[in-house]
Order: sequence, then structure tokens, then C-alpha cells
Amino acid sequence: MDEPLLKIKNLKTYYFTESGVVRAVDNVTLDIRKGELLGLVGESGSGKSTLGFSIIRLIPPPGKIINGSIFLNGIDLMKLSEKELRKIRGRRIGMIFQDPLTCLDPLRRIEDQMVETVMVHMDVERDEAREMAAKALEKVGISGDRLKDYPHQLSGGMRQRAMIAMATMLRPELLIADEPTTALDVIVQSKIMDLLTDLKESMKMSILLITHDLALVIERADRVAVMYAGELCEVGTSEQISQDPLHPYTKLLLESIPDVEAPKTKLKSILGNPPDMRNPPSGCRFWPRCPYAKDLCKKTPPRFMELGGRIVRCHLYDREGEKS
Amino acid sequence: MASLKTFIIARALALIPTILILITLVFFIMRVLPGDPVVAIVGMKAPPERVIELKKELGLMDEAGNPIPLPIQYLNYLSKLVSGDLGRSLIWGKRPVLLEIMEHLPATIELAIAGFIVSIILGLVLGSLGGWMGGKMSSTVKTYGAITYALFIPWIGMLFQLFFAVWLGVLPVAGRIDTGLEPPTITGLYLIDSMIMGRWDSFLSALKHITLPALTLGLVISGVFTRVTRTSVEEVMRKDFVVAARARGIPEHKILLHVLKNSFVPILTMMGLQLALLMTGAVLTETTFSWPGMGTFLLERIQYRDYTTVQGTVVFFAIIVSLINLIVDICYAYIDPRIRY
Amino acid sequence: MYTFRPLLVKLVPKVRLKGLTLAGTIMVLFTVFLAILAPILTPYDPTKSVDLSLQPPSWKHPFGTNKVGQDMWSRTVYGARTILAVVFLSTIVSILIGVPLGLVSGYVGGISDRILAMIMDAIYAFPGLILAIAIAAAMGPGIINTAVSIAIVYVPTYFRMVRGQTLSIKEQLYVEAARAIGAKPLTILTRYIFPNVISVIAVVFTLSVADVVLTEAALSFFGLSVPAPTPDWGFDLKAGHPYLLSGYWWLITFPGLMIMILAVGFTFIGEGVAEYLGAREVKI
Repeated sequence: MDEPLLKIKNLKTYYFTESGVVRAVDNVTLDIRKGELLGLVGESGSGKSTLGFSIIRLIPPPGKIINGSIFLNGIDLMKLSEKELRKIRGRRIGMIFQDPLTCLDPLRRIEDQMVETVMVHMDVERDEAREMAAKALEKVGISGDRLKDYPHQLSGGMRQRAMIAMATMLRPELLIADEPTTALDVIVQSKIMDLLTDLKESMKMSILLITHDLALVIERADRVAVMYAGELCEVGTSEQISQDPLHPYTKLLLESIPDVEAPKTKLKSILGNPPDMRNPPSGCRFWPRCPYAKDLCKKTPPRFMELGGRIVRCHLYDREGEKS
Repeated sequence: MASLKTFIIARALALIPTILILITLVFFIMRVLPGDPVVAIVGMKAPPERVIELKKELGLMDEAGNPIPLPIQYLNYLSKLVSGDLGRSLIWGKRPVLLEIMEHLPATIELAIAGFIVSIILGLVLGSLGGWMGGKMSSTVKTYGAITYALFIPWIGMLFQLFFAVWLGVLPVAGRIDTGLEPPTITGLYLIDSMIMGRWDSFLSALKHITLPALTLGLVISGVFTRVTRTSVEEVMRKDFVVAARARGIPEHKILLHVLKNSFVPILTMMGLQLALLMTGAVLTETTFSWPGMGTFLLERIQYRDYTTVQGTVVFFAIIVSLINLIVDICYAYIDPRIRY
Repeated sequence: MYTFRPLLVKLVPKVRLKGLTLAGTIMVLFTVFLAILAPILTPYDPTKSVDLSLQPPSWKHPFGTNKVGQDMWSRTVYGARTILAVVFLSTIVSILIGVPLGLVSGYVGGISDRILAMIMDAIYAFPGLILAIAIAAAMGPGIINTAVSIAIVYVPTYFRMVRGQTLSIKEQLYVEAARAIGAKPLTILTRYIFPNVISVIAVVFTLSVADVVLTEAALSFFGLSVPAPTPDWGFDLKAGHPYLLSGYWWLITFPGLMIMILAVGFTFIGEGVAEYLGAREVKI
């Protein structure tokens, strides 16, 4: 198999707050392959967004990446200086966010913000940058003469598109998308996802889609990674995850997705609450909510097991590939 | 932009009721509050002719000697104002109040500008540093802001006088300029006039005299600016577009510029609101340093019970404050396109 | 949008500002202490001439004596009473007028509410001290008059905040529900809206009281506050000012210092309150 585009190894990102240390990302190892859409799914507080921000090292204090390496085509991003990192951000790795309204400077026109991005990374004339901006906008389906607008003059969906244009304009190899559709209605959501998929194909770009919406991910992603309480539970293709979920958490997540066609029954939710990340449960962090929990689960954290091309972290599968 | 014009017109129209309310308020204060002004001016044992004469001057009685009812008094008052008549002084030979105000206004303007400049420099610099750097710097700036805001101007002024004028002897205690060195009047602002006319002796004297008052005023007002700048910068720094910009690889110094521009709007509003503080501060500073401006003028007339002048001066203040607030609002709308209707 | 910042982690930097708030509370309490224990703490009658004039600080007169021969220590300590009395009185009056007006106006709404709000806004935008000066000048000296003059200046502040709170609470569902079951407006106001408004009043008070102190000091500086022999810090400052040139520094230092202690004390407390409320900017 090809070398993965991004190799995250043993990443630990903690927040050192006054009330305790929050282990937001606790020893995560994950690969993102070239040209794939990897969906990173988890509840609020699972650490998925932190993971996304960690990749480009945009963790604000009191947070700190205390361990791990992140290899982008062989270069360890953790070892780069701030200056070198800035060359990667926006150019080789792009990022889009949940709320496009707050992510754009309200006092400047779209054009200025896009042109600035280009000129920071490339040595071109202002006019040429403007051309690039206009083309980028058109590529996402916005007419070039909206360049002169201010962010508040665009609709929600258009703003998100503009953000996507800005993030992908320089053809990055990886796009980190942090809940890009959560703030949009279903129809717009679908269109944005279509756009992202198109861009992925045409630019041969990988996308890390961070979301809490498992259904969305199953529908659109190539592979899925499920995260809980700062740790990975399961990674597999979307078919594998949707048809044969292994980890109990994944199973429960799937069950809680409302099925439009099924007979009307009560909405299923997962019992309990996400743990306090300053003091997560011992052993496997999911045991308080896991229907299959055993004594072993409370004492020992499970190891990663490879099963038929997927990875799963659960004691249920920890006997040399046997299901218990 | 058409929308900016609409905004200006709308706000200008809204000005009228505001000014009207204030003018009415002043009228009420002067006429309706307890205390008989006539008695206060001439005492209990005044001859009746004098009392009548005074009542006519105050507009309480008409030419024939009949008392004018309150509503009519109000209308007379309004109509006089519209024609620019702020009343006449009761003591200085019926000089028009407006004229006297104009004589004293330049001194206050000069002091206000000087103090304002000092406060902006202090406020913006300290505030931006505090907001940008966060942590210990932020706390220090916060404390600075809290303390300076609560300083009593006369006291600080006096301490400065004690230290620099009395003990060190390097700066003058009070006054605006050494007698005889007044420059010819062009703008009324000594510093500007002396520069225009090349009178460097005047300029130096005026500069020396304005230093302590400007420092005092500027220091105390800077507290608010510092606080607003710091909070504003801090708040903007936390905004998502800052993170998003960083995620695009924009270097920090560029981000700082954008942060400042975004922070500027609340700072500007504060500047407008601080006009009230500036005026209050100017009044206090003037009396401490015997600065011959509006503040000293107002207090002096209160001392002499020159009610018509006091009333006219307060009305004048009201109008000026409202006008300047309007201008600030317009600048606000110019900078932030979201504000325009 | 820092959605990843775990919901459980609330960053309230209590530790850092506790120092400031604590210092502020001490300063204010110190002043109150002086006011309450004035007769015990002072050997002389502050309104009477007790010694030679213009004496520098000594064991007999720790703060010296002024031009009239009054003991500055006694005057400074008793001055705490004057200023606290005025501040207390004027705050009460402001609240008694501003709060009910804000409640009723906000609740009733309509044209009268708009007009009243406009009037209040106009007053609010006007420089407070100048307004207070005008009113105090018209009313004459005296504790009550001074308190009223200052109170009028701050009525709009209370009015606005209370009205704002009332407007937002009015729209809440539970108020709608109460109205639906036929509760009288007075009941709604007192039982539902007012309790929520109390915290706002406390906040407004904390954040504006330093201003009130400075306004009183300014009024007394201009001789527009309490009449002559009553000890008043601002007045003493004015009285002592002319002697500064001749080097009589003790006449102004101590009264001025006390004004600063009280005002800064209240400001520090206000800062603590604002910080406690979080990043939400409380605009006064």
C-alpha cells in the first residue's frame, strides 16, 4: 500500500487548567491516506476537534501537545519551527470550521482575505492573486463578482463555500474539516458535502472530516475512525463500520441513528454521560456505559488489535483475533 | 455608499429630540427645583423694585409686571434658544452668555485635546499590550486601568503640582501662559497660534503650562481607554477568525493588525462615551490648575449666582455633547459596515 | 467555536483577581470602620478650631492642622461619615426611583416606555458631574440636596439596566404562562421579574458606586455639597490647595488619599464582580 499522507503517532494533547489536567487526546495513533475522506466521529468532549487542531499545532493555552509525532509525507510537523509551520498551514494543510460567520473577518471583504492568503504563501502580483481568488470562488459555485462582498452579505451556505474556497485555493494535500456542516440545514449540508467530495476527487486531496454525525460519515467517508474520551475505539472502512461494527461504542452509536424507514419506536440513546476528562475512568474509558463491561475492562486499558484490515481497541477482541 | 448617507440622516434627526429633552431638563432644574433664585441673588431684604427688575430679567415677569406662567416661560426659553440666544449674564452688564462662552471655550478645547492625546497614547499602547500578551501583562494593565479610573483629578493634579512645581520647581503651578506672552488670537489655542506666528517664547511658555494639566487629565482618562482597549483586543483575539487566519498561515503581525481594526469599534464608541468623562475631567482639571476655560467659568458663575449664565452654559454643553456623539456614531458606522441601516 | 474545549472546563481566573477584590474590600471596610468609630478614634472635634493654624504633622496632630486650626486627623476620619452618608443616600434614592421606573416602563412597554427610555438615554449621555453641579447649584447646600443631585444623575443607569432585564424576562415562557393563568401585572412584576432584577441592581451598584464617590468629592470640592464646618474630604482639598505653594503639603494629602482609597476600593470590588460574571461585558 502507498505511504499514508499523514501519520499521527502517539499524540497526546492535554489542557492544563486550574481545575485539573484534561487529557483531551490521549495517545492516539492514526493514519490518513492519500485521496481518502476519513471521518473522525465522537461525542462532544471526545477530543476529536482537539486532534484536528493538533495536526497544525493550533492548540491555545492552557493546552499543550506533550507527546507524539505527526508525519506529513515524511516531515515531522512537531519538530518544525513556527515559521516553517506557517508555510504548511493554508498551503499544504487547509482547515475549515463550523461557523463560517465568525471565521471570517467581518470588517474585510472576501476578496481581501483570500488575496492575503495567496500572497502570504506565493510570490505573485496582487492582480494575479485576485484572479486566483475569483477562480477559487467559481470552483465552489460562487460567482466571481461576490468577491467584493463582506461576509455578512453572504448566506450561511455561501459563507461556508467561501471558506472552503479559501482553504483549498492553494491546493492543499489535506483538508481538515471541523464540523463543517453542523450549523447548516440538511439540504445545504448535503450540497456542501457534495462540494467537498468533488474537490477531493478533482484536487486529489485528503479530507479529515471531524463530526459527531455518524450517519453523515457512513454516507460520505471512505474510512471511519471512532473516538471516545480522548482515545480511538475503532477504525475501519465505512462499510465495515456500518455493517459490522465491532466496538460496543460504535454499535451503540449506530443504533442511536434514527432510521426513517423503520417502524416508529423510541429513539435510542446511549446511557450515561461522557466522562470528566480531568479524571477519566480507569482501564477502558468506556466501561461505565458499556453493556459488555467486565472486571478486566475496569482495570486494564485495551490494546489495539488488527482484525481484517481494521483496528479495534476492546477487550472483547483481545485474544489473538478471537471474539470472546 | 447610500446606506451610510441614510444612516447619517436618521441619526441627525434623532438628535433633535435628545437635545430637546436635555434643554427641557435644564429648564426644569433652573426653574422648578426648590430655592427661589431671586432671593438667592439679592437676599431677603431687597427693595421691591429691584426684585421686579430681576424677575423681568429672569423671564419670570413680563414688561407690564405680570407674572408669566410656566409653560409660556418655557416657550420663550425655547424660542430664544432657536435664535441662538443663550441668555444674558446677570452680573457682567448683560453680556450675552454665548459670547462669554466663546471667550473661554478655546482654553478648554486646548486642554481637552492635549489630555485626550495623552490618554490615547497611554490607553492604546498599554491596552493593546495587555490584550495581546495576556497573562501577567494583562493583569498589570487591568490593575493600572482600575486605579487610574478611580483617581480624583484635583488630588492627582495637586500632587503633580507639589512634586513638579513646588518641590522640583521645573514646571509652573498654574495658569495657561506667562502674562504678556499671549500670542495673537487666531484659533484661540495658544500652542497653535504661537507656532503659526513663530512666537517661540509664547510656545514654550504655553507648553510648560499645559504639561501638568494635560498629564493629570490624560492619566485619569487613560484608565478607561486602557481597560476598553485591553478587553476589546482580548475579546477579538479569542474570535474564530483569528484561529482561522492562523490556520491559513497568516503571520502574527498581520493578524495583529486585523485584530486591532476589529477591536477599534468598541474603542471608538468608548471614545465617544468618554467625551462625557473628558468634559468632567476638564472641569476638575481647570479648577485645580487655574486654567481659564469653561470649567473655571462655570464654577465662577455658580459662585456669583449668575443663574442665567449657568443655565446657558449647561445648555451649551448639552448641545455640544449631543453633536459630538452624533459624529462619533457616524465614524462608527463608517468603520463597521454592519452598523449601517 | 472552540467546541473542543471540554464543556466541563470553565476558565474563571478567580485566583488572580481574588487579590484585587480582597484589597478593594479591605479598603472600603477600612473607610466604613473609620466612619463608625470616628468619635473613638479622634481626640478633637473636627468642626472646631483647637490649636494654632497650619501646623505640620506631629504627635499631637498626626495630620497637622489647617488654616482655621482644625485637627486634620479628626477632619479626615469624620469625613468618612459625610461621604459615606451621601453615597449611601444617593444610591438609595437612585434605586428607589430608577428601579420601579425601569420595571414598570419595561413591562408596560409601548409609546410611554419608548419616550421614557429616550429621556433616560439623553440624561445618561450627558456628563454626569456637570448635571450634578447644575442641580446642586440650584438646590443649595446640604446632605439631602447633595444626595438628590447625585441620585438624579444615576437614575438613568439603574433604569436602563432594570428595564433591559425586564424586557428580556418579559419574553420568557414562564411569564407568558403566568399571564395565561390570569396573574395580575403587579404580581408578575413582584414575583417573577423583580427577583431576577435584584442581581442586576447589585451589579450596577458595584460598578457605579466608585463614580458616585468621585462625584460627591467633586461636588464638595466645588463647595456644592455639605455646608462649611462639616468635615468633607473634597472641601478640605479645596481649602488646602492655596497653601500648597507655600509647601503646606499635609492639608491636601490625607483627604485626597482617603478619597482615592474609597474610590479605588470600590473599583477593585467592581473589577472582581465583572470578572466573576465572566467574559460577558457588563456595559454601564
